[in-house]
Amino acid sequence: MIGLIRLAVFGFVALTVVYLLVSIYSRSVRRERLEKEWDSDPAREGSLLDERAAFIEAGMAAYRHSLRRKLIVLVYIIPMAIVAITTYLVNYQ
Amino acid sequence: MGGKFWTYAKWTLRIVLFLFVAGFLHYTLPQHDIVRITNTYNRLTTVGTENSWAYSSPDSGTAEGTTTRDIRFVDTAFANGKVMVYRNEDTGWVWPPYFKYDSSNLQAEATNLKSDAANPKWVVVTHYGWRLPILSIYPNAVAVREASGPDEQIIPWVNIVVLVLLLFVVVMIRRMWAQFWERTVEPAAANVEEAWDGVENRAGGFWGQIKGWFSRKK
Repeated sequence: MIGLIRLAVFGFVALTVVYLLVSIYSRSVRRERLEKEWDSDPAREGSLLDERAAFIEAGMAAYRHSLRRKLIVLVYIIPMAIVAITTYLVNYQ
Repeated sequence: MGGKFWTYAKWTLRIVLFLFVAGFLHYTLPQHDIVRITNTYNRLTTVGTENSWAYSSPDSGTAEGTTTRDIRFVDTAFANGKVMVYRNEDTGWVWPPYFKYDSSNLQAEATNLKSDAANPKWVVVTHYGWRLPILSIYPNAVAVREASGPDEQIIPWVNIVVLVLLLFVVVMIRRMWAQFWERTVEPAAANVEEAWDGVENRAGGFWGQIKGWFSRKK
């Protein structure tokens, strides 16, 4: 039983690290896409750097409320579900 | 430094790494044998330094703190007459990740499925691990069920799912690393190069070398 508690504690710590890394990655990918979107638009050529920064900030604000960001919580849910399913199949089937 | 040396070093490293990962997966992933159970028993087994890696750690096995403990075994025979001996131990909660704690029940099920050569009852034993007599190690049985016959075809769904998931994780790690490099390290390196005009050739070469170890793109 103590083993299960140990798994839960260390698993939570490890998954938190993974969650943070995936969050940073996802945010970085979104920011890069926004930058490229702005830079590749011919209509925006010669516009001010401030406008570009504002556009990217608005995009990032939208990202913060997006489903994609919320789905990163699957990083916790999927491994926990796998452990639960494995435990059930191995011991109760 | 000769380019040839680096090519050899790189390929040696890759092959060793591949063999290690393949062996590790082959040991850990579940496999199925169709056998006839001939005997189930437990015996005092001494676990030494050379083979303790292939046994459960003491606190998840049947006794604590000793190197000699009672371990359950299942003797079986294949249809072609070859034999296989499985151990039947709890796995504990970390590695290998089977989270098995029903060894007693499994032993009872295995005993219940015992049969003799005249009246064979074929059984699918799901197990992981290797049988290496020289190290006295045994695969650990995880589940038993009756087979439809000695030739039953089994699709290894668990292995397929695990390998696909692992592939996904590896691809994600590479993409995350590439993103980190492109967005964080390269701009920082560019700043360094601007600041230190004289050093940048060496720095660029050094970073290029490091980068070459981790990715093959460009």
